[in-house]
Amino acid sequence: MDRGEFAIIGTGEVPCGNYPERSEFETAYTVARAAIRDAGIDKDEIGAVVCAQHIMSNPNNDYNTEMVFGRLPEAIGAKGCRITCMTSSGGASSFSLRKTVEGILHSGETDTVLVVHAQRFSTFTPNEQAKYFSIAGSDVEWEVPYGMTYNALAAMVTQGYMAYTGTTIEQVASVCVACRKWAMLQPNAMFNKKEITVEKVLSSRMVAYPLTAFMCNVLADGGSAFVMTTAEKAKKVCDRPVYILGDASSYSHRTITRSKSRDLAKMGESMAPVAREAYEKAGLGPEDMDIYQVYGSYPALQLIVMDALGICEPGRSGALVESGETSPGGKYPVTTNGEALSFGHTGTGVGIALLVESVRQLQGKAGKAQVEGARFLVENTGGGAFMDCHFTILGNEIPH
Amino acid sequence: MSEQNVSIKDLLGLSDEEMLKPLPIPTKWSQPFWDAAKEHRLVLKKCSTCGNIDHPPYLYCTACQADEHEWIEASGKGTLYAYAVNHFGVPFPFWDDMPYVLAMVDLPEGPRMISNIVECDIEKLANGMELEVVFDDVSGEITLPKWKPA
Ligand SMILES: [Zn+2]
Repeated sequence: MDRGEFAIIGTGEVPCGNYPERSEFETAYTVARAAIRDAGIDKDEIGAVVCAQHIMSNPNNDYNTEMVFGRLPEAIGAKGCRITCMTSSGGASSFSLRKTVEGILHSGETDTVLVVHAQRFSTFTPNEQAKYFSIAGSDVEWEVPYGMTYNALAAMVTQGYMAYTGTTIEQVASVCVACRKWAMLQPNAMFNKKEITVEKVLSSRMVAYPLTAFMCNVLADGGSAFVMTTAEKAKKVCDRPVYILGDASSYSHRTITRSKSRDLAKMGESMAPVAREAYEKAGLGPEDMDIYQVYGSYPALQLIVMDALGICEPGRSGALVESGETSPGGKYPVTTNGEALSFGHTGTGVGIALLVESVRQLQGKAGKAQVEGARFLVENTGGGAFMDCHFTILGNEIPH
Repeated sequence: MSEQNVSIKDLLGLSDEEMLKPLPIPTKWSQPFWDAAKEHRLVLKKCSTCGNIDHPPYLYCTACQADEHEWIEASGKGTLYAYAVNHFGVPFPFWDDMPYVLAMVDLPEGPRMISNIVECDIEKLANGMELEVVFDDVSGEITLPKWKPA
């Protein structure tokens, strides 16, 4: 990929939260039309539709099967569609979807691609959700028989990170507080009504020590979409395209016990070269970023990724968040939609929502959450049992 | 919840099937591990070509892709690297066990394992503490290696 070869020109989103009456299909069709309208293009210009695979499908009307077999272009009337496909890499789906789109655009088969994610969790029972999220992050042969859960996975990473870096539980809790402050500025966030405090986070119910309920994300119904095109077309049809300036990735493991970085205190540091590679490809550095969009899904994981960004000493991210500098109005705005913790956990959609928010910020369409004059940002995602990490530099101009 | 002393099964009227704990389903390449565990032995898959120890084991060595291997006897010693304590929101079959401890256990042979820490006060858990393996016969076929303070 050449620097600035591709751009995102429009986004769509629905409110995230508890919406049992809203099927995945309704969500998908709604966000698709919103993104096409926001991009200012005709629906028939869409040459490819790429759907995010969702999780925990309804067996009677399987969303994944329908989308694989081309329901979406028909339902939204995309008469110029030539290619459909579905892809997923769990929480890292925003990245793998985007790379799929880049491949399609690069092939020349079309110059306009629509990406859609939709998810509904609320029609499943809490036990069905608990069961699914015990196997999603954990190995069914080696971990699940011990009563392993996603929360426990994050909890032991948190416990180890704190023990080996000296990060305090108050600092971990301050990530939740910062996320909530951002979510309060987001009309589509699940939790945007009430501020929380460190004390409130720490006094909420213990779920998986050291994680309390407020440190664990809540599954939510939601969806989002975006339209991606070539830079050439973007310049013609869009006032403010958001260019993909550089990215880099690494994969570590499936089972956390086989992580390439065995030292939890250095997990962030081990991602630092990946972030550096992304910055370098963009011809920019950490100091050039106006926003840092971090996908942690749990507070300590956000800190671990922040350790990689080059904005503070590795292991000191907790102090940075505690200082308030990552909150609205701070020097280092981090995760401006409030992420899984406060925007809501929509399965493979958490990272897609963060990418959509990144585009809004760089298009000046982020409303109350708008970081004034934002030109460049780094966007991060990762999936599974913290299996991988991806950093992308986005900008509303191509630096020379 | 555990402190109420009422089983989640009675509370919610769950069937025996819903209360069944998930058990490992051994693969062709992991069967020897579970066979040994049943005999209360902890073994690890070691590559005969390059000496790499794989845990979890795979079809062939993940370092050099060779098939030839041996199952070596582990010392049964370990250290506690990091831990979590599940207090809420677990699948029903584990509900009555709460609070229970999950941990990353480092083996001197190299691998790290996820397991439970048993026979230990939660307050006494500490990163780096010495552990030794114990065997929990959870069914006629499956024995889970777990760890207790050494
Ligand atoms: Zn080998």
